[in-house]
Amino acid sequence: MRKTVLIVEDEFLIAIDLKLLLERGGWFVLGPAATVAEALRLLDDELPAVALLDVTLKDGGVRPVAEALHAQNVPFVVASAYDQPELIGGDILAGAPNVGKPTEERRLLKVLEQVVGS
Amino acid sequence: MNLEDLYRLLRNGHVEAQGIVDTVPDPLLVLDQNLYVRTASRAFFTTFKVTRDETIGQHLYELGNRQWDIPELRRLLEEVIPKSTAVVDYEVEQDFPTIGRRAMLVSAHRLFHPDNNSRTLLLSIVDATERRQREAEKDVLLGELRHRMKNLLGLVQAMARQTTAVGRSGEEYRDAFLGRFNALVQAHDAAYTQEGEADLQEVLQRTLEPYSPTGVLVESGPAVSLASGQIMSLSLILHELATNAVKYGALSTPAGQVRIRWEVEEASGPSVRLVWQETGGPPVAPPASPGFGMQLIDFAVSRELGGRVELNYAPAGLAVEIVAPLGPVS
Repeated sequence: MRKTVLIVEDEFLIAIDLKLLLERGGWFVLGPAATVAEALRLLDDELPAVALLDVTLKDGGVRPVAEALHAQNVPFVVASAYDQPELIGGDILAGAPNVGKPTEERRLLKVLEQVVGS
Repeated sequence: MNLEDLYRLLRNGHVEAQGIVDTVPDPLLVLDQNLYVRTASRAFFTTFKVTRDETIGQHLYELGNRQWDIPELRRLLEEVIPKSTAVVDYEVEQDFPTIGRRAMLVSAHRLFHPDNNSRTLLLSIVDATERRQREAEKDVLLGELRHRMKNLLGLVQAMARQTTAVGRSGEEYRDAFLGRFNALVQAHDAAYTQEGEADLQEVLQRTLEPYSPTGVLVESGPAVSLASGQIMSLSLILHELATNAVKYGALSTPAGQVRIRWEVEEASGPSVRLVWQETGGPPVAPPASPGFGMQLIDFAVSRELGGRVELNYAPAGLAVEIVAPLGPVS
């Protein structure tokens, strides 16, 4: 299976960084999407193997994206500066691994592999 | 001294002592050794909106809706007299009858007595509800501040990670990274220290002058007011273009020049067309692969400014055209 990852992140510098480093790590990147609407549109076209989610986007919380992913059985990983992203983004985020922000490269790649592999 | 004088003296002393108790703004209760209420201060009645009859002679645990009947507090209170201990600021958060949910800090001491064999308790109660609320609000604010700080650190990390290191000396890497870092700091200052708005001309001049006071010509154009987010993005874009020009383009030779001009268009809603034109530099060619700088410009224009950008690597010099809508950008 092709290693595809959907990046959902509204801070453009961080979005570019995540995109470039995941591409270097052998991933095929969908997005980055800066809004809930854009992320949902991308999901309509193609389902990724995994998604990497920021909690707060330009047009609101990421919850609808997480719910859409959950409904399609696509696992997701959170990249948030919040210690408990579920308090901000809703219970749907509880239990998803949070790779943090700033995001450490090796940890991010490892967690994505784990989530896709399991 | 006759009996009447003695009585008056005692009475005055009592009235004064009671006056002191009734003047203390926090509620006070005097309890006997079995925790029955012997006296209560004025503040107790007003704070809990209860009468003397409901209070005096009652057992502490039976007051109100038994809100003081808490196993942990019971254990603490029942040790005060036999072990000569004190309870300090034990927090009771409960729904109190008539006054609602409150956070009360309860303290209990043996009532002071010169012979030190008092079997009476003084219970003082401090309403900490508002203090607790303020603390909670402060915690929320600090949490938000921490979140923003980590986001900012994330931006710095992105720049550090994506600034090219391959084929560069440590110093070259450091200078390239710090160039971007300073651009971020200045963009942040420009965007958020003034009242969140600035004029395009001012932003162009202030951002580009440090790169070359003589090589950059900002033509005058119509007044365009920029919001803080737009100032931030534009400053970062200009930094990328200017450092490229200094390294490879028109600003790498004394004769080279960058001219910036803009106009406002009223097609479907007002938009600004900004043109960056390099002349007099060495021949230019598009980069072999778009790096972080190119992606930054591309993302900043399309996502942050909601517009589009074209880069034309003409032999005579790089020409960049940015078209972006004015007014609020989502």
